Amino acid sequence: MMEEGRNAEEARYRALLELDVSSPDAREELVAGLHDESWRVRRAAAEGLTRLPEREAVVERLVSVLGERDETGARNAAAESLSAMGEHAVGPLVRLLLHPDPDQRKFAADILGQLGRLEAEDALVRAMVEDVDLNVRVAAAEALGRMGGRVAARALERILHDPEPLLQLSALESLAALRHPPPLPEVVRLLANPTLKRSAYRVLGLIPQLAATELVCRGLGSESRSTREAALVALGTQALLSESTQRSEMDAAVRLVLRRLPQAAEWVAAALVSEDGELKAGGLVAAAALREPRLAPLVAEVAQEERLMPEVVRTLSYFGPEAGRELLSSMDRLSFPAREVAGQALVEMVDATYVPELVQMLEWGDLDLKMVAVQALGRTRSLDAVEPLSRLLSQSELCALAARALVSLAASFPTQVLQVLEDALTHGAEPAVLNALVRVGGTGMLPLVRRTAREASVPLRATAVEVLAVVDPMGGLELARQALADEAPRVRVAAVRVLGQLGDASMAGLLKRALGDETMEVRLAALDAVGECGAVERAAELEALVQHPDGAIAFRAVQSLARLGALRDEVLQRAVDHEDHEVVKAALLAGAVSAEGVSLAVELLGHPSWDVRAAAARVLGDSGGPECLPATRAALAAEMDSLARRALEDAVDRLSGR
Amino acid sequence: MPFDTGKPEMSAEEFRLLRDFVYGHCGILVRDDMKFVMQRRLWPRLEVLGLTDFSSYYRYLRFDAQRRAELETAIEALTTHETYFFREPRQLKAFSEEVLPRLERRNARTKRLRIWSAGCSSGEEAYTVAMLVKDSGRFDGWDVEVHGTDISRRVLAVARQGEYGPSALRATAPDKIARYFDHVGPTRVRVRDDIRSWVTFAHQNLQDPETGLLVSRMDAVFCRNVMIYFDTPARQRVLRHIYDKMVPGGYLLLGHSENLINLSADFELVHLRSDLVYRKPELGGGLAP
Repeated sequence: MMEEGRNAEEARYRALLELDVSSPDAREELVAGLHDESWRVRRAAAEGLTRLPEREAVVERLVSVLGERDETGARNAAAESLSAMGEHAVGPLVRLLLHPDPDQRKFAADILGQLGRLEAEDALVRAMVEDVDLNVRVAAAEALGRMGGRVAARALERILHDPEPLLQLSALESLAALRHPPPLPEVVRLLANPTLKRSAYRVLGLIPQLAATELVCRGLGSESRSTREAALVALGTQALLSESTQRSEMDAAVRLVLRRLPQAAEWVAAALVSEDGELKAGGLVAAAALREPRLAPLVAEVAQEERLMPEVVRTLSYFGPEAGRELLSSMDRLSFPAREVAGQALVEMVDATYVPELVQMLEWGDLDLKMVAVQALGRTRSLDAVEPLSRLLSQSELCALAARALVSLAASFPTQVLQVLEDALTHGAEPAVLNALVRVGGTGMLPLVRRTAREASVPLRATAVEVLAVVDPMGGLELARQALADEAPRVRVAAVRVLGQLGDASMAGLLKRALGDETMEVRLAALDAVGECGAVERAAELEALVQHPDGAIAFRAVQSLARLGALRDEVLQRAVDHEDHEVVKAALLAGAVSAEGVSLAVELLGHPSWDVRAAAARVLGDSGGPECLPATRAALAAEMDSLARRALEDAVDRLSGR
Repeated sequence: MPFDTGKPEMSAEEFRLLRDFVYGHCGILVRDDMKFVMQRRLWPRLEVLGLTDFSSYYRYLRFDAQRRAELETAIEALTTHETYFFREPRQLKAFSEEVLPRLERRNARTKRLRIWSAGCSSGEEAYTVAMLVKDSGRFDGWDVEVHGTDISRRVLAVARQGEYGPSALRATAPDKIARYFDHVGPTRVRVRDDIRSWVTFAHQNLQDPETGLLVSRMDAVFCRNVMIYFDTPARQRVLRHIYDKMVPGGYLLLGHSENLINLSADFELVHLRSDLVYRKPELGGGLAP
């Protein structure tokens, strides 16, 4: 396009975007835009028409554009606009299904499919069954596949007996889209038809029965590649739908067939690397049955399709140690998602013989690969893994993971692990090392912990306060009292936490100071600690905070009051008025045992947020009496959210049984 | 038998709360069929924080003093960083052979070239673009800048370091490895300094234009396989932001499976010999196609 033309197009486009849709000429200007030579202008016009008032009139005008046979661009733009018109378009389009011109009837069916409104279901079924034009019948069948109604599914099943293969094919595809398989014998009849075979297998996959699996297995043994691939697709679908009990029978059947096919590993490999996600899904099931180690990296690569990740993890779990070595040797060439799943599989499979390769993997540059190697080394139960892990204790990114791995190895080699952890600590290691040291060495480490708490860096001091409390509660409490005066907030937080975990109501005075600490982090920890140690003297201060605008503070205040058993009805009522849903839910749960709480739960069944309504339903299910049943039933009848509905259904069941 | 992880399962309600929270923060949409992925990627965070279930983790993200840092960590975990050098060669060919010559003519007076790699992950795309600019031989002596931005600070650290292993090089021809990388280990390479000097990296949440301000307007924007993380309104916001950051006549390159249908008609489609790309329309005068 020349520059002048492009500027003119831009001007027309901008003019339509800026058009006042309430002006009297707006509709016709937009309709003129539908006829523009530029697709951008047509798109802007189509969108503009959806914003006009008097939708009925606009729909009629758009339907008239569909009749302009020589204006392909305008007709398509009008169709796009109609498919965004919702219920207003249904009546006129259903009438258009009776137009003498089959081309227009097909347009009507296509757009009704886009609209996906059940009001059009009967009319589309009639068009599919009775129209004299095959294209219209096919368009209607395809539209019904986007509709989702039972009437549509039944009608599509009947169409499978139509003599016209194109119509049968559309019906099969629509049944697959609706995830509504016809009875098994109907599908068996179509499996032999080369035109319909692939779609028939797709539908067969929707039947999670062993009889269907056996049919699929017959397809796997076919010499025709297209049949094998269709069977693999069915297998993938079936696996996703099967219960775990059925799944093992299914795996056994597939394994039996594939073991007899010498080329199976090759074509399963081809399926795993294909562009077709459904074929890949089937390839995974076949790979799980074959358990051929060479397939393991290809299986891992399928994780690039995130929806298939659960199946990838499951498949790799069937492979043995040889597959682990395949994964290990290819780790640095795998994509990121593949490395993620391969890493976990590897960690699960390792034994002492893997240590040399894992140590080598520590030399690779990528952090995620090193992390896998560290985790895996911790599971080898090999003394040879201790030294390489000890070298990582000075690397901040890997220290915590390496320390955890060493703790695992300490189950077999406590002395050696203790030695490397102590050495690391003397060379200024991270807090994770101190933590690990105490977990491995227990009370024997007390002198070292005390020394660390007095002298070390802030993170180590804070950790020392907390770990001492684990091995020596009395000593830990004493140290925590002193640490409350530490100049570092992080240490004071650790001290407050210990007071909460180990203290009793006598800590109320100390916690008063912490509640007024200059650092928010310390105050938040103190709010938790008050409830944990039963410092009931502080209840009044907590009550003042339940309406605090910061949800973090209000939430903790409610929780601590509940723990203290001091959440008065009046305070509970204030808490459920909080803007933050988590505060409301905390209050609901805290009040669940009281009559006031149950009555608040009934009120909250009408809360605007689905999670609060679900929480209220659970409270009623646990604590409500039969008098709550009518309100719960009414809430269930009005509930649109699926999760809240589930909670309400459960509550109604439980309340009905009382 | 499948692995028994012994780790907590994520309930449907926990999934929805976490999903909505992440979406509210950065527009990243975790689809319903990704519950398993979310669960797997957040398990390690539960372990590190000593939490027993995902409800506690959700409350940690909402209410803990460390919540901001943890939210960033969670988002890093949830966004995969799958990328490699010279990914989608057909599009790169179109960029080299058709877009760059046009930009050379267009900017001949200023001798400045600005390219943005949005959602650059660990830097492979930004460096690839710089290598293509260098390869073209058209911009010697020009003021060239390639900006890589991403929401994950961890991947940006990798990008700045510029060191990569075999996975990142799986689509890179040996002659390019020889020309643009130094070997730093048996299988590791580092991008050479002349390429690195053109590339800068910065943190940016694409849903929040206030973060990671790009000073100049861009002549070309690569935004490939980024919008898959967003729902329609979020995509439209990102596209508006990109549009605002482009010069009129600038080019937008999306991933091969992405397009602007139902998202934006602000950009015009340009049919190149090797590929289709989008362009911000000229507002008067400018470059012939």
